[in-house]
Formats: sequence, C-alpha cells, structure tokens
Amino acid sequence: MQAEKSLQNQPHTEAGTARPCRSCKWQTPDPTDPHRGQCTANRHAMGGVWKRWLRDVENTTCSRHEEGKLSFRDHV
Amino acid sequence: MNDIASAKVLEYKGKALQFTPENPAEAKIPVDELHEHLQKPSTARTKRLKERCRWKHASAGEFIEKSVTAGIERMRYLTEAHKASEGQPEAIRRALGLANVLNKSTLVLQEDEFIVGYHAEDPNMFPLYPELSHMAVQDYLRSDYSPQPADEAAAINEYWKPHSLQSKCQPYFDPADLGRMYQVSSMEAPSFASGYNSIVPPYETVLEDGLLARIKLAEKHIAEAQADMSTFPWDGTKGLDNIAKIDNWKAMVIACKAVISWARRQGRLCRIVAENFETDPKRQAELLEIADICQRIPAEPCKGLKDAMQAKFFTFLICHAIERYASGYAQKEDTLLWPYYKASVVDKKFQPMSHMDAVELVEMERLKISEHGAGKSRAYREIFPGSNDLFILTVGGTNAKGEDACNDMTDAILEAAKRIRTAEPSIVFRYSKKNRDKTLRWVFECIRDGLGYPSIKHDEIGTAQMKEYAKFSLNGNGATDEEAHNWVNVLCMSPGIHGRRKTQKTRSEGGGSIFPAKLLEITLNDGYDWSYADMQLGPKTGDLSSLKTFDDVWEAFREQYQYAINLCISTKDVSRYFEQRFLQMPFVSAIDDGCMELGMDACALSEQPNGWHNPITTIVAANSLVAIKKLVFEDKKYTLEQLSQALKANWEGFEEMRVDFKRAPKWGNDDDYADSIITRFYEEIIGGEMRKITNYSGGPVMPTGQAVGLYMEVGSRTGPTPDGRFGGEAADDGGISPYMGTDKKGPTAVLRSVSKVQKNQKGNLLNQRLSVPIMRSKHGFEIWNSYMKTWHDLNIDHVQFNVVSTDEMRAAQREPEKHHDLIVRVSGYSARFVDIPTYGQNTIIARQEQDFSASDLEFLNVEI
Repeated sequence: MQAEKSLQNQPHTEAGTARPCRSCKWQTPDPTDPHRGQCTANRHAMGGVWKRWLRDVENTTCSRHEEGKLSFRDHV
Repeated sequence: MNDIASAKVLEYKGKALQFTPENPAEAKIPVDELHEHLQKPSTARTKRLKERCRWKHASAGEFIEKSVTAGIERMRYLTEAHKASEGQPEAIRRALGLANVLNKSTLVLQEDEFIVGYHAEDPNMFPLYPELSHMAVQDYLRSDYSPQPADEAAAINEYWKPHSLQSKCQPYFDPADLGRMYQVSSMEAPSFASGYNSIVPPYETVLEDGLLARIKLAEKHIAEAQADMSTFPWDGTKGLDNIAKIDNWKAMVIACKAVISWARRQGRLCRIVAENFETDPKRQAELLEIADICQRIPAEPCKGLKDAMQAKFFTFLICHAIERYASGYAQKEDTLLWPYYKASVVDKKFQPMSHMDAVELVEMERLKISEHGAGKSRAYREIFPGSNDLFILTVGGTNAKGEDACNDMTDAILEAAKRIRTAEPSIVFRYSKKNRDKTLRWVFECIRDGLGYPSIKHDEIGTAQMKEYAKFSLNGNGATDEEAHNWVNVLCMSPGIHGRRKTQKTRSEGGGSIFPAKLLEITLNDGYDWSYADMQLGPKTGDLSSLKTFDDVWEAFREQYQYAINLCISTKDVSRYFEQRFLQMPFVSAIDDGCMELGMDACALSEQPNGWHNPITTIVAANSLVAIKKLVFEDKKYTLEQLSQALKANWEGFEEMRVDFKRAPKWGNDDDYADSIITRFYEEIIGGEMRKITNYSGGPVMPTGQAVGLYMEVGSRTGPTPDGRFGGEAADDGGISPYMGTDKKGPTAVLRSVSKVQKNQKGNLLNQRLSVPIMRSKHGFEIWNSYMKTWHDLNIDHVQFNVVSTDEMRAAQREPEKHHDLIVRVSGYSARFVDIPTYGQNTIIARQEQDFSASDLEFLNVEI
C-alpha cells in the first residue's frame, strides 16, 4: 500500500492522462528538448529544489498534479 | 536597522581602525536601501532613457517583463531568401539571406536615443534562428513568447528542420549520448542543439577602414583570383582553390553593401522624422546629425567618438544578432575608442565634446545594450538569471609595448557604469601593476557600489596564455608577442585575441560546460543517474563493491570525465565542420583581415587556437572526494555502502553522518589536507585530462572554471553529495570559489588556497563577498588595493566581488518593487537582484561575507 502510494506521488507514465505534467504548475520545460520536462515538486525545507527529469510531459502524471504556472521566483 | 558604518574597531599596527563611511552623508542612509541611493545619471536624458529602458531580463526560462516576445521578421526574410537562392553557392546564399533581412526589416527609432539601430521589428522583440536549432524555436512556439503569426512561424521552423545546424550534426552521434547532453546535468547541450554562440567581432577594421574599403579589397581579390585562373599554364592542384575563395569574397561584397544600405536607411529614417515630425528644434538638429553619421558610417572610416560608437553598435547588431546569434559584447573598448575619444575630446578635431559628453555617450550605450533582445534557447534563459545576456567588455591591462593601456576613455567607461547602474554590459578589468592609480580608483568605485564589476583578470597570465596558444597555430600565424597583449574576455572568463584578425568567431572554438558534481554522483553509482533522469548517464565504471580504495574512486571519476569531455569537444568540432559549410558569416569574414586575405569563411579560418571548456560545480565534486578519502578510506568511520544509503535517503535518518561529511575539510581555508587533494584534482583531472584533447584549431582544450547561473541549475539536477549537501541544493558558485559559507578562515586564507592551483588551467572564477562597511569606509580603497597587489603576486587568474549587505538583499526579497537598482554579482555576470528566483537569491545571501582581521591586513601588507 505504501509503495503504491509512493508511486502515485512520483511522476509516472500514464498514456493519454487528463492531468499531464505539461499542464502542472510544478513542471518546467526541459532546457533543450521541448518534448521533455522537469518536475520541481520536490522542495527541501531549506529552500532547495530537487528536480526530476520528465521523459514525456504529455503522458506522465502524479497525484501532486496541479494546473497552473508558478512565477519565475518559485523556480530555479 | 543597522547603519552603513561598522561598529567594529580593529587594532592594527598600533592603531585603532574605525570603519565610518568615506562619504559622511552615507551615514544617514539605511543599510537596507543603500543601492537605491547610488545611481547618478550624468544627464536628464540618460535618466529618462533608463526609466523607459525595455529590460529583457530572464529567469527560470521566462522573461520578467510581460511585453517581451519573439519577432518574426528575421526568420521570415531569411527563409524567403533561402528558398529563392537554391542552387547558388552556400556562402552566397548566406549573404543574400543577410541582405534580404537588412533590406526588408522594419526599422526602430526611439525617443531620446542618440545611438540608433535595432535587430527586430519592435523594441520589445528579439529575433529567432531556425537555421541553428529547430528545437529551440519549437520551445518558443510553445511559450508565451511565440512569434506571430504562430502558423507562419511554425511553417518556417518546419522548413528549416532538414537545413538546420542541429539536423546536420545529429546523425554523427549516438542518440543516447545526445540524450545525456540535452539534459544539461553532466554536460551542457551542444551548440547545434541550443543555438548558443559567442564571438569577438573584429570591430577595428570597421572603425579604421570603413566597409567601402573592405568591398574594394574583396573586389580586388576576386579580380586577382580570376586572373590567376586564366594564367597559363593552368595548375588544377591550385587553381581550383580559387572557386571557394571567389564565392567567399563575392559573399563579403554582398554583405558589406547590404550593411551600408541598412545603415543609410536608418539615417534616412532619422532625416524623415526630423524634417516631418519632430517639433523640438534641438532634437531635430540631433536627428539630422545622426542621419549624417549613418550616411557616412560604417561605409567610411570613423572620425570622431559619435561615429565610432554608432559604427560599433551597427557592427554589434550584425555580428551578434542578425547574421547569426552570438552572446557576448567582447571588445577592448577603451583601446578601440581611444583614437576617437582623442579626436573629439582632447583634440576637438571632429565631433568636439567634453569628457562628460563622452560619459553620457557610454551611458546611452549601456542602456542600448540593456534593452537588446537575445533569442536564446530556454537553457540560456535559465542560466543567467536576473540578466539579459552575457554582455561583457574588457578594459585596462597593458598594450603591445607592455605599457599601461589605461586612458581617459577607460575612465569614461567606468564612470558611466558607476553613474547609470545597469547590470549589463559587465566589465572585465585586466589588472597590471602598471595600471594608473586614477583608473584603479574608478575600478574600486564601481566595485564598492556593488555593481559586481569590473571583474578582475590577471594581465600577465592572459598575455602568457595567448603566446602559449599561438604555438599551436595551424597556419603558423598565431598571435605575435606584441599581439598577445591584445586580449579580451570572449565571454565571462576566457581570454581571446581582439583586433583586426585572429579573434574567436564561434563558440565551437571555446565555450560550453561540463559538470563534475553530477559526474562524481554517477561515479558512485556505476554511471547511473538515480537522482534526476533515472537513466545510464555515463559509462559503467564499477559498482561500489569494486571501489575498494580511494584511487579506485579517483580513476572511476577520471573515466566518467574523459567520456563526457570527449563528447563535449567532439560535438563542438562537428558543429564547426557544418558551420563553415552551411552557416557561413560573410559579414564577419569581410571585416577580418585573415578571412579577407585568404578568401576564407570566418568559421573555417583559425589562426589563433583558443580551445576552452567550462568545468562548473568542480568544488562540490572536489570537497566530496576529500570527505570520502578522509571518512571512508582513512578514518574508516563509514563504508561507501553506508554513504550511498545515506545519499539515497537525502541524509534523512543519517543526520550525524551528514554533519561528519559537512565538517570534513573544505576548500578555501588554506587547509593542506583538503587543498592538496583538490589541487591535484584540478591539475591532473580537470585540466590534465582536458588538455589531452586537440580541437579543430590544433591546440589543446583548457578548462575555464566559471559557474554563471549553472551552479543553480545543475545543483537542482544533482542529488545529495558526500560534501554534506542535500539533493537539489545549489552547487559552488565560481570556478574555484569555496562552496558558499564554507570558507571560514577569512579572505586571505581563500587566496592562499586558490593560489595553489597553477597547472593546466585557462581560467578560474573566484567569487568573493566583501564587507560593505569596510569597503565604504575611508580605509576601503587602501585595503582593496593591497588585496589586489597580493592577489596579483599570488598569480591568481581572476577575482570578482559582491559588496552588498544581507539586510538589503532580505529587504529586496520582502519588497522587490522598491529595489530595482539592487545589483549583485552572480558568477561571471551581474544581475538585478529582484529578477533572480528566490532559490538563486538565497545562494547569494549564503555566501560568506568576508571581514578583514588584523592578520589579514598584515598578510596583505596594508599601509594605513
């Protein structure tokens, strides 16, 4: 149960998801390839932002998905 | 609230030193708003220009100002010409493309400006470059800054896909290797994927000769080549060389004629506005004067300072934004402008003016650069947070005779920078003990006002480096001993020749980055990246069980590094191969004496090798190695397996262990244990392995350690590291700077540590943060001056300073709208603090603010 919860918590493949990382406020595009992305949801209490690479921003999602866009101030 | 004066009293050589402000009026300024009181534009005009400046700062991939967007005209007219010129020689197609853009693009003329010209159809816009990377343009098409009409832009990008530099280069690499590079976690993406570039334009030929003379030269060469081809007896082994040369010269003629015509069109626009719309007689006269200037230059040689400034700006626009994108503002500006300053200010022979008029002109230039729009890819909109682009010019140093090169133009440039307070262009000062005191004082004034520039480079080290590289020149025409003094920083840190020839024309010669922190992380995981991309990121160099000794770890890292640096340089050289075949630069070629003489394209001709690559995050890797050696292999307090377990948990549940690793000896404290390992790391691996590589130009590739904003980006893509760092925390902010907050032994201990690294380096960025009260006190200049002399004698390549208080940065975080003039040094460039993401702001606050103890002053031999 714990493992399953943890998987849902992290970006994972879900073909055709209605809540793709691309539309998530924690996502920011890959620096080079616009089909990829970066998840910035993992934030350390001290202010660190630990990114995770997203292979396919259209078909990846997780339970922390939130529509929107963060200000540049909240990214890296 | 604290005030600027420090309560500190320092006993030194029998005196009690107090640090009250040199300017007594400052005592009344709250310390948390100091920077808002320092600007002093020299005229009402430059004050207005600053207030309405269309800043184009970017952070986290986004433009800060909402009105900024990509334009379509450049890509439209370039594409139109490319389609129409099919079948013609590629060099000529490139020239026709430039001509079509210049002939048809909308001109921009703004109120109050004296230096005219822009490179897009609207001053809020910037051009795009689909001929470089279609991925970079695709990113714009998906963004809020997409050019309009979007359908047309998408069709243009689609057209360029098979023709782009990206598509030409990619087939020569394993897609897995490219995938690793594109992430920008262990290596920067190759320039063919990002379109990023840099150049040192040979401004000198434009200002000294004028373009009409360059056209005549090219036409003479064409006639000679054609005559050679009809000479009896024909020799096919040599005669055929003329074909490519003739094409190149013809392309140069087309390009120069187009630039002259474009400049004159700007002049006519000024005249039309003056004669038909302007009602203010003073401005009317000024517009007519600009019209006259644009009619004469850059066609003819410059005669005065106004001519030179305008010719230089036109040349900048073509070389950096229209013919091809290139970051940077590399030039030896004081040397370049001195003859024209002398003609206008000293001799009053042409465009007579006062010194303060010259200062105003430089202020206007700085604002013009500040609103320049760079169509950079997303990676480069992330990695210089809070700034526009890496606009960096060089002043000071010594001339070809080895004498002090400072002059009154140097002072005008520095005074203007201090007065107008803009983050860009940044300034590099080449420090020599021969430099005059008057100019050094201006350097200090800028630094203590917190501009973060000039950054200081060691004059003799740079000159010696140019001589060394010259030995590898493939055509035996590298820099002479005299020319070796003619160097500037190409971008933030790396010296390169400036002048009429032998300058760097493309970033495929030098530039790009490699990230040792990530390489160290994957070294401990058999080349696998578990913390960011979840993929094999480098070669399999052995799992933990195979790393039985510290040497095993060391050698595994070496192998990861060799793989990455080899890939980085080979992608640059493959780019170079295709640049000279499909991305010729006829205008740049026309203004380079070497290209003109030899009939070669600027991307192809390399007379002075200048290979370099930037290791960034080296200190995180180096401190980690020190901690591993001590705690795992010497003290045997932990095993590598235990360390790995703690790292995978981001130290959660391993706090005591984290503290041990955090407290292990660190760089920057003159600690022999740490410094001996780290010095060896720099000299044997970072520099030693890199210099084994030979690039296109025939010379070695050398490391130029400098972080820009990549220490944040790569930090956020790097998991926890054995130096006690948490996953996602920023990495080290220099090239050789101590990790933020870990240099506890004062500023001179930092200098002693850094001075130990001497072999196999091209440059290394040292970031230092100095105490505001001390620098603004009456003792500030003496202390800084002594610091610089010591730094020089320790043979350290570089240093740059932040002089800004934590109070003021915290205040700006609370109320950003009140702190638009707060400028900080990030790394290699300066930025407006409030335009930096909070993550990055915190890294600057966390830097150790260096105070000076009596023993520091003694070491520096300060005379007070």
